[in-house]
Amino acid sequence: MFMPRALIVSAGFLLAGLLGLGAYFLPVLQVASSSSRSGYVPDLDPRQRTTAPFTVLLLGSDDDAKFPPDRLNTQSMILVRVDPAAGQATMLSIPRDLWVPIPNQGEGKISTAFQLGGPPAAIAAVETNFGVHVDHYVWIGLNGLVKLIDQLGGVNVIVSNPVMDDFYPSDLAPGGYPYDYYRVAVLPGAAHLDGVHALQYVRSRHGDLRGDFARSERQQQVLLAIKGQASRLNVVDLPTLAKAFDGEIKTNMGLTRIRQLMGVANDFDGTSIHRIVLVPPYTSEGVIAGQDVVIPHWDTIRPFVHQTFP
Amino acid sequence: MVVAALVLAMSVFGAGVYDAAGHLKTGRPHVERPTKTTGPTVPGTMYVVQSGAIYRFQRGIFHQITPEAGWMQPAADPTGTRLVAVRRQSNVSDVYLLERSGRTWTQLTHHSSSAIELNHWAFYPRFSPDGSQLFYDYDPKDPYNSYRLDLAIYSNSADPSAKSSVQWTYPNPYTGGDVNPVPLDGGGLIYTRFSIDGQSKVHSQIWLQSRPGDTGTALTNPDADCLQPALTARGNLIAMVCTNGEPLSAQLVVAAFYPASLSLGPPAVLVNGQLLASPSFSPDGKTVAYLAPAAAGGGFQLWTIPVTQSTTPAPRQVSKGLDLDAASAPVWVQ
Repeated sequence: MFMPRALIVSAGFLLAGLLGLGAYFLPVLQVASSSSRSGYVPDLDPRQRTTAPFTVLLLGSDDDAKFPPDRLNTQSMILVRVDPAAGQATMLSIPRDLWVPIPNQGEGKISTAFQLGGPPAAIAAVETNFGVHVDHYVWIGLNGLVKLIDQLGGVNVIVSNPVMDDFYPSDLAPGGYPYDYYRVAVLPGAAHLDGVHALQYVRSRHGDLRGDFARSERQQQVLLAIKGQASRLNVVDLPTLAKAFDGEIKTNMGLTRIRQLMGVANDFDGTSIHRIVLVPPYTSEGVIAGQDVVIPHWDTIRPFVHQTFP
Repeated sequence: MVVAALVLAMSVFGAGVYDAAGHLKTGRPHVERPTKTTGPTVPGTMYVVQSGAIYRFQRGIFHQITPEAGWMQPAADPTGTRLVAVRRQSNVSDVYLLERSGRTWTQLTHHSSSAIELNHWAFYPRFSPDGSQLFYDYDPKDPYNSYRLDLAIYSNSADPSAKSSVQWTYPNPYTGGDVNPVPLDGGGLIYTRFSIDGQSKVHSQIWLQSRPGDTGTALTNPDADCLQPALTARGNLIAMVCTNGEPLSAQLVVAAFYPASLSLGPPAVLVNGQLLASPSFSPDGKTVAYLAPAAAGGGFQLWTIPVTQSTTPAPRQVSKGLDLDAASAPVWVQ
């Protein structure tokens, strides 16, 4: 009779511990929507490392009051290929105005795929046009990026040239008029940016000759900086981050994959991350259906992309 | 009774696991106010900026000389008795003369407008070596394209009553403009100029102009991507930050400056492969002060490094736990 009682007591403590752990990680489980298995408890074994390459589609939307929540475009689309075994990663920025066939929707700017069918439509548009497989997506809104960077304590970047904008949207303040604007001047040189200033840096495009392409470069640069900051975090920091996002981030990555990503983040420095922006000759600018668009030159894009996104 | 005690113990254990997990968090780095910290003594007096306030650093102690009100980019006149600095507010910034104590003397520019896009910026004020002129960045508006906004370098008499200004530089369009004016003894100007090449890459170069409106001469190659020049008081040595196109690391480089031949000597790298910003020379020109994080991703601290081309010098960290404004070069006076 003694052994069963001891077992029951041990099991009780184990269950209580797991419940404590589960409660702690609950905000993360809510974000990591695919981790929906009942009673899922995060695997905290630090020795487990992923070695198989995988591809993540990063999506960023202006989710301010100008847009109904269910009608958001993706202002930013970055395809990231991580090859842990080779210690290599590639970031490919997809121009938001790229004119492409969108599965089941006809032709349009690739940024509208998300509006028409959410993450599955955005993934399908990327997969069919670029001929790549997307394993996961992460979507983040404006406030989500601000909160993420603030939770990380800011990011350090080298601002390559002055980012000047007299018409930067003043759309983050709740209750404000979403078409208001203000002036932005991000000065060149190394800088420690908080969330709001980092968002200004990656979002502004009016005063730059390269328009959206310049913005794509800056977005990749801030992603690198975020990776650098995130590499000092550990898995128990995730619930605080998840709570801060408050619905401003969505992903189909499970917690195990997120933990694996954090595990490999330290293995990559700036030199092992290849950055691609589809500037000419991969694309050209044009007007289709009365809209300013970016026309893809698939005969140059696809062979180039398949070198790193097999 | 025993069962109740066990259930209670299990609950406490579960809560303990929850609490213990929370204690393992990395958390955000804590930023100190400069006045709460001290540093090693450096010769002379330095001025740095954090959170919109200017601090004087003397004998290892920081003194706050302005309120946290958007103050940035201080610079000293040749005698070290006056400061000039920018006060940046929402949509606008202006240049002010200040006493060394921080008391505002005179507002030199008046850039505010009720129409948001008609406001102007002023940045990087610098006295000429003889103290008679003031150089600074200003954003002239393009009457034909309201989206174009490129900073240009202007000069004005340092006399607050003088009104006329001279436009020195005409920036490459849609690059953001020319920045970091360093006036030269004898009337020339060194600054950072930006360009965009045929592959859509941005480059920054240290540029030299002899007079207003000149085409000028590049002192560094486009691929070196150098910016934020600083000169010794004698004008014989230049310090600058060069990124070589890297997004997150840079070099602190010094080189001899030959104004007669409009050229630089061979560069010497003092610090390599690190995020760093805004060098400035000590009054005797033998040491460079600069700003850089002490740890990856952290706030910028004040560092010094001796200028020597014969050995590899070791940087000295002066401040700890701060978040100094990396766009405000340290001012170092006697």
